[in-house]
Amino acid sequence: MSDLAPPAESEPMFELPLELAIDTNVARRLIAEFIRGQLRQAGFERAVLGLSGGIDSALVAFLVAEAIGADKLLCVMMPYKTSSPASQGDAEAVVAVLGCAVELVEITAMVDGYFGASGPDGVTAGAGTPGAGGADALAASALRRGNFMARMRMATLYDRSVSWRGLVVGTGNKTESLIGYTTLFGDSACAFNPIGDLYKSQVRQLSAAMGVPEVVIRKAPSADLWPGQTDEAEAGFSYPVLDRLLYWRIDRRRSVNEVVALGFDRVLVERVDRMVAGAEFKRQVPPIAKIGPRTAGVDYLYPRRRPGSSRA
Amino acid sequence: MQPLRIALAQIAPRLGDLEANVARHLDLLAEARAGGAGLVVFPELGLTGYQLQDLAGEVSMRLDDPRLAQLAAATKPGLSAVVSFVEESADHRLFIAAALLEDGALRHVHRKVFLPTYGMFDERRFFAAGDAIRATPSQLGVGMGLAVCEDFWHVSTPQLLALDGAQLLVNVSSSPGRDLALTSEAGLGTATSWRSLMRTYAQLTTSFVVFVNRVGVDESLSFWGGSEVIGPTGAPLFSAPLFDEGLYMVDVDLADVRRERITLPLLRDERPELVAREWRRLIAERAGLTADTTAEPGSAPGFDVAVER
Repeated sequence: MSDLAPPAESEPMFELPLELAIDTNVARRLIAEFIRGQLRQAGFERAVLGLSGGIDSALVAFLVAEAIGADKLLCVMMPYKTSSPASQGDAEAVVAVLGCAVELVEITAMVDGYFGASGPDGVTAGAGTPGAGGADALAASALRRGNFMARMRMATLYDRSVSWRGLVVGTGNKTESLIGYTTLFGDSACAFNPIGDLYKSQVRQLSAAMGVPEVVIRKAPSADLWPGQTDEAEAGFSYPVLDRLLYWRIDRRRSVNEVVALGFDRVLVERVDRMVAGAEFKRQVPPIAKIGPRTAGVDYLYPRRRPGSSRA
Repeated sequence: MQPLRIALAQIAPRLGDLEANVARHLDLLAEARAGGAGLVVFPELGLTGYQLQDLAGEVSMRLDDPRLAQLAAATKPGLSAVVSFVEESADHRLFIAAALLEDGALRHVHRKVFLPTYGMFDERRFFAAGDAIRATPSQLGVGMGLAVCEDFWHVSTPQLLALDGAQLLVNVSSSPGRDLALTSEAGLGTATSWRSLMRTYAQLTTSFVVFVNRVGVDESLSFWGGSEVIGPTGAPLFSAPLFDEGLYMVDVDLADVRRERITLPLLRDERPELVAREWRRLIAERAGLTADTTAEPGSAPGFDVAVER
């Protein structure tokens, strides 16, 4: 609000490493063309995405609304019973700004239907009746539960994709994709992804430029799988440091010794290298055993969209 | 010499849809003619789209293809146009081709010589490389030099074309936008690189450079447009917007070439016989036929200095 004086010592909303700063006007334009192109080539006019209340999905909602209009976007909020109520409030704030369609799909019954009733914190094992997953599933780890939740959200979005007649838009950023902080066939599943080549710091920069609500930009990133969880506490590093490290190692092809010379901690560098290598399988289409004369992805190589492939 | 109106067709081709793209070309040729253009330039693979992969062999055309004849017919009377497509030779090699169509006929074909096969590019897998860099006469009253995208990332291309008589260098491109660093000119590293290349070539060859780059999206790639006309002094005369589809008209005075070449006689002073002599020496040395005359004793092949680094 322009008529209110800023707080005396207003903190910047986020830390943006200099080498990661992008021209946000060009990025908006490029991404808008990308979104329109993907939809047109597939014969779709509408899009659907999962809106968590976090910055990544908020930014994608803004980008899609800018590209095709908010009236063609459906945001689906899919909380589990332990999801933070603040997350839903933040998601609603995004929807309020954009004026797009919104649906609430609680995934609690889907998840508990498989794992059975969980303990009081909603994540650890409880003593209730087993679900479809059997008695063993009652004691399922947070990892199993978190992955399952992500896949229930995926299943919901692909169902809504049919009823809304829109493509599922991906909301994963480059940082989490590189370190493998994603669920295979879960949150990474999509028809196309407009922000998958933007580091978290760049997601923040672009979000600020587009007017994503400040509360969404400022809050600590979280998978929101259990109360109080944050990405940075769980992984043990800050996004600006991780983004810079990945940028120098991958985009700028610096060796381990060279990034250590730039000031990065060698233990962190080696750990992140292992995470990136260990997540390679999550970023690629599964290999098919080569047997016949032409094999998809090997020597049968067509663009995803070509004449005849549009549903329109 | 008459002023020339050049129409830059900064279009978004439909991937693999030859018929739709031919129709779009015909529409734009008519629009450019109505707007008084003498030359219309379409981007690399404007008739097919870029990221073809195995579609390349399904959209290829022989030079006697009736669809090319239809496009050529649209240049009659008096229009010149550069179009780009997949050319299939009689022995079934596929080339990325740019053709000059003039006054109803196909006048010249350039086959892309340099096929990027690194990073995001995989052209050599699907295409054969051209074997000639030749200027062509044009009804516009100047020599023209056609080149396709990566051809201009090799300094020999514009130099050969200019020495062969081109005064108007035409580069048609499908350049994907990337590197959005805030520090780049126009916020796009690709645009910065291309602009410095083309201004340099225009100045060093004292020729007009016409650059037409496509827009739109193929798969992951977003093409950035930014088509340009640069005068023989190296000064940009026109820069099309980034990412906007459009038919942009630019008027140039071809007499600028004469003025600039008399003021700055760089081409006069070129030494092609010297360059050819040194190239012949390098070729023999690189093939191991003779010793590397510029290397220190004990240095590894291809590396002039003997010391360990």
